[in-house]
Amino acid sequence: MRASLIAALAVSTVASAAPSAKDLEFFESKIRPVLVKNCHACHTQTKLGGLRLDSREALLAGGKSGPAIVAGNPTASLLMQAVNHTHLRLKMPPVGKLAQPEIDALAEWIQSGAAWPETKVAVASGKYVITEAQRQFWAFQPVNKTMAASSIDEFLKAGWRAQNLTPVAPAEKRVLIRRVTFDLIGLPPAPEEVDAFLNDTAANAYEKVVDRLLASPRFGERWARHWLDLARYADGALGASVDTPYANAFRYRDWVIDAFNRDLPYDTFVKAQIAADLMPDGERHLPALGFQALGGGVDDQLDVTTRTFLGLTVGCAQCHDHKYDPIPTNDYYSLAGVFSSSARNEFPLAPEATVKAYKEHQKKIEDAKFELDYFVKLRSGELSDMMVGKSARYLAAAWRTMRGESAGDDKLDKEVLDRWIDLLKRPNKDHEFLKPFEDLIARKAPAEEAAKWMAEFQVFVSDVFRRRAEMEERNYVKLGGIKGIRDEATRQYTNLESLPILQYYLWRDLASDPYKRDFFDFKGGVYYFGEKNIDRWLGTEWKDHLDRLRAHHTALKESLPKQYPFIHSMKDSDKPKNARVAIRGDAQNLGDEVPRQFLRILSKGDPAPFTKGSGRLELAEVIASPSNPLTARVIANRLWHWHFGSGIVRSVSNFGQLGERPTHPELLDYLAAKLVESGWSLKALHREIVLSEAYRLSTAHNESNYAKDPGNSYHWRANLVQRLDAEAVRDSLLAVAGTMDGKAGGEPGPFADDFHRRAVYGYVGRTKPDLMLTLFDFPNPNNTAEQRVVTSGPMQRLFFLNNPFVAAQAKALADRLGKSAAADEDRIRLAYRLLYARTPKPAEVQMGLDFLARSGSWPQYAQVLLSSSEFTSVN
Amino acid sequence: MNRRDALKTMGNGFGLLGLANAMHGGQARGVLAPKAPHFAPKAKRVIFLFLNGGMSHVDTFDPKPALEKWDGTPMPGPKVLTDRASGELMKSPFKFHHRGKSGLEVSEIFPKVGGLIDDICVIRSMWSDNGNHGPSLLMMNTGHLLPGRPSLGSWLTYGLGTENQNLPGFVALCPGFPVLGPQLWDSAFLPKIHQGTYLHNGEREPEKIVQNIRNKQLSLSEQERQLALLDKLNHSYLDDLGPQAELESSIASMEVAFRMQVEAPEIFDIAKEPEKLRERYGTHDFGRGCLMALRLAERGVRMVQVYYGNFQPWDSHDDIRVHSKLAATADAPIAALIEDLKLRGLFDDTLLIIGSEFGRTPMIQNSGLERVGNGRDHNVHGYCTLLAGGGIKGGIAYGATDEFGYKAAEKRCHVHDLHATVMHLMGFDHTRLTYRYSGRDYRLTDVAGNVVKDILA
Repeated sequence: MRASLIAALAVSTVASAAPSAKDLEFFESKIRPVLVKNCHACHTQTKLGGLRLDSREALLAGGKSGPAIVAGNPTASLLMQAVNHTHLRLKMPPVGKLAQPEIDALAEWIQSGAAWPETKVAVASGKYVITEAQRQFWAFQPVNKTMAASSIDEFLKAGWRAQNLTPVAPAEKRVLIRRVTFDLIGLPPAPEEVDAFLNDTAANAYEKVVDRLLASPRFGERWARHWLDLARYADGALGASVDTPYANAFRYRDWVIDAFNRDLPYDTFVKAQIAADLMPDGERHLPALGFQALGGGVDDQLDVTTRTFLGLTVGCAQCHDHKYDPIPTNDYYSLAGVFSSSARNEFPLAPEATVKAYKEHQKKIEDAKFELDYFVKLRSGELSDMMVGKSARYLAAAWRTMRGESAGDDKLDKEVLDRWIDLLKRPNKDHEFLKPFEDLIARKAPAEEAAKWMAEFQVFVSDVFRRRAEMEERNYVKLGGIKGIRDEATRQYTNLESLPILQYYLWRDLASDPYKRDFFDFKGGVYYFGEKNIDRWLGTEWKDHLDRLRAHHTALKESLPKQYPFIHSMKDSDKPKNARVAIRGDAQNLGDEVPRQFLRILSKGDPAPFTKGSGRLELAEVIASPSNPLTARVIANRLWHWHFGSGIVRSVSNFGQLGERPTHPELLDYLAAKLVESGWSLKALHREIVLSEAYRLSTAHNESNYAKDPGNSYHWRANLVQRLDAEAVRDSLLAVAGTMDGKAGGEPGPFADDFHRRAVYGYVGRTKPDLMLTLFDFPNPNNTAEQRVVTSGPMQRLFFLNNPFVAAQAKALADRLGKSAAADEDRIRLAYRLLYARTPKPAEVQMGLDFLARSGSWPQYAQVLLSSSEFTSVN
Repeated sequence: MNRRDALKTMGNGFGLLGLANAMHGGQARGVLAPKAPHFAPKAKRVIFLFLNGGMSHVDTFDPKPALEKWDGTPMPGPKVLTDRASGELMKSPFKFHHRGKSGLEVSEIFPKVGGLIDDICVIRSMWSDNGNHGPSLLMMNTGHLLPGRPSLGSWLTYGLGTENQNLPGFVALCPGFPVLGPQLWDSAFLPKIHQGTYLHNGEREPEKIVQNIRNKQLSLSEQERQLALLDKLNHSYLDDLGPQAELESSIASMEVAFRMQVEAPEIFDIAKEPEKLRERYGTHDFGRGCLMALRLAERGVRMVQVYYGNFQPWDSHDDIRVHSKLAATADAPIAALIEDLKLRGLFDDTLLIIGSEFGRTPMIQNSGLERVGNGRDHNVHGYCTLLAGGGIKGGIAYGATDEFGYKAAEKRCHVHDLHATVMHLMGFDHTRLTYRYSGRDYRLTDVAGNVVKDILA
């Protein structure tokens, strides 16, 4: 078999000397795209199974299983067996079978000789080569500034014409104001605002509404939340298994709100979140570094930074060259070097002296605690060592007591004796050293026999204690004395001696302090007296000393002031250094050192190594540079996505090979260019988008358009997410009930029913996000979230049906309506205007009146109105 | 008539309220409607009993006589890297006995499970990639070491929907949280509806277990009136808008919500089961979790995962003998669950998975962080997972670790292989149940995984 394959190969190589133009065209149109899309991820530089599929020579040479193709003979070609899934083991591609026409094309191509255009194969010389084709990928092209049109609508209209689509009618005014108000500030419009707009006949009436909303401080609160999803913002430590709150995390959240409200130019906005500490005049932007400092380690920072600002999944190149995009592992570690040469830095918002004093104070508490514990530990050990010498006497007294006689030895301690009796009676002891005692009791053995055993037992226990003490001394030396004992890493990697386990249990039952470990809860040994109860055993000097230690520790603890406020910031490490490539992501297996520099695909020629400190500022500058083809496009696309529910590039955080292609590439470039031209003003871009005709269309259905473009890629009707997001649901309940506390900024509050501030100001827990927000698809704050999923389902309905928070807002809404109008009919009208920005139809008023007539309860009626789908939807 | 009875009666005649789409027993619509897999499945649902923290295999289901012989001597071969300093080989403090007709050896700390060993397949050659709890928990649950991938249960409801539209399709029970918590039942990029619904089975009252399940202020007739009006308002809104699939399903889910008020509290009110039955599960939270799992499985929930306890109880670094105390609360409920699944006719189409994120070293652990110095460290190179029920050949041990139990040696079974096998039993070609996200087709088994055919019945 093998021989015949090779023979066939020899023949066909000769036969295919000069491929025809037609064959080559077939290759380029039908074969290369299939190979690139389905095979190149694993079979180019990565060479899985030793196989490359990017040149004819490589296919003929094959991999570990043999040649991939036999030109002229599809049946004998391993490639065909693999894609047809007829091979026993090889079934490719692993994610699922190719489409039949693709398989047929491959067969046809092999049959006709496997034509491949003449090219110089890039030889893997160890240096990563970016191919011309990779460089030509759309996302890496400079933003085209020569515009074919001068407004969003012109671009979209071209699409309508080309696709023969007729846009639907514009939305009604009241629908539009509700839509744009939720979109820009995340709250429903007030009835007066709706009336003003409806009554304003000026041509720029809508523009006035938009400008009012963009100028509202509520705008930043709404739009910061979008950004916080990307920044995986939470008010606590990332990666902690138990919520570990950061009291100062909110400064980052407030900085984002403020930046959006003040329309901080986006390039500055980006740079500040990477390197505010290094920017000239950067101090006012220091809280921006929460983007890094509130995140995880280097891997997390690198991944979130590149995804968020560049729309590139550089994190995928951690263990191997990126399988789809021209990002070699070396580039990953070039950036990793920048981040690992930086460190978190608590930038104090207090005088240096205060900070220093606080830290010294903390250290003193630690030292005092250690000194106290160590003193008690020593005394406690001495005490139990001495008591061991009375073991036989205690056992004899216990023996008598358990036989109903008097203990008969008044020199013994009552508490210790009781503990002994408890232990002796305890079933299921972990050792059997006391079993003889039980037997002696059970068979009512003579006192002399018992005494003999007790004496022997005491000798044995003393011996166990002595050996343990000797062992502890050796362990003390092994750990390197007190210093080692106080150092966790030393303890982790030092092997100690321990007693044989059953003897350990005996020792523990007699002398150990109480402890809880791995699910086991020990209450304390018979002879153990610790910090809480050792006092009565200590002589005056010892006792005085213990009291002094305690008083010292308590005084220090009580005088510790509240920690000074600080900013979660970053700083360069003293000695920035390049990272070494971790081979296959394994930090134990290090390869070459790589210079700190930018991604080569986004550099002209070879990237220049960063020279200033960690290189963070240089990195920030190249990312935020107008000549970077990705940064402006990515953010323009994000704004489009947030306004319209889907992006021009739908994979908003992935502009790479595996991401989606733009549906309107020229429009995207237009928006990106306009953004840069406007001095990176996001508000200008928002304004342009929401003022477009496309934004103002209704959501109406149109059968003929739908048949041509069911996904509405061409915006023939308004595209938007109809269900309010979690924050808007909660905020709106408060807004219409009139119970919202509009206080802006500052420390977060816990999400309790009486928390009435906007949801953006609620405490975001890492491990336990608020249940209500989660129910309405608040994202997992441990990962960057490029978009919110939208779910429905019974758990959401149960919330409206039964949650006390909803009931309380219903009650408040009923009270508010009651104060505003006397007649039920008028109250109903006002409710509809507040909740739905419209007046009710007569039938709806009647339904309300009927309900009230039967139930007599305004709060119950108000709850129904709040539970309706209309309240939580926008159109 | 008490509230629950009234709700029941009303639930049956829900048509009166004018809500469309009878869900219960009828044809369900929407993303969670039951769907057919790629081929006829052997199991219809999964119960995953997760002994979080790391159950030691050499002390439970993988006896190693060599440890008796070499006890107290260093493991031959090069020094291995463990989380903390490890010492010499240590024999198991527990005795193993041949059990059942199959004669498989089981540790004395699992007497009742041992009695059912003929129903169980012990995979003794499990291995994974990272020896820390977090990554290993993610691997076992999501097939990936880092967060951000959907969990097994999410894939199952995504692929199969669920049988009972009145309950979530995927339920995770834990008294507290295992390490990483919600990330372990996350749906990641799959629609959120596939995320596991977490319930705190340490709570005693059903109302505390399921959020918002009860209304403390309104009477039933008041709520009925509200729902009738709400339904009219919603339909009038829908009429104005024209056909809106998402909105329709949201409106319809109000009916499910209403029905859940009947069904959910009942399920978690395990006091309803006869005392004799409850006794067999014990009073420990894990036992209660197993009993709830039985009741959920019975009612058509696709996947139930029961975590043994808060944080990581099975992490016996300090003293391996604590395993006997842990097993004392796990043995009886596991056995009771198997018996009751059989009694209720569910065993043959329920896949039961019992296991941990990894096993433990055959060496003793006695670093300066330990107290007792009689424990074992994490071991991801070789460990056990138990399978039973639908499609599983019982009474067999598959694969083997090396002489000492350190490393999977024969018929090695990676977590991806386990997942591929689970998917196979549920009727899926694991390479074809995919989801396109961020430009790529993702699947539970990444680009690996082979079905372990030898363990299929």
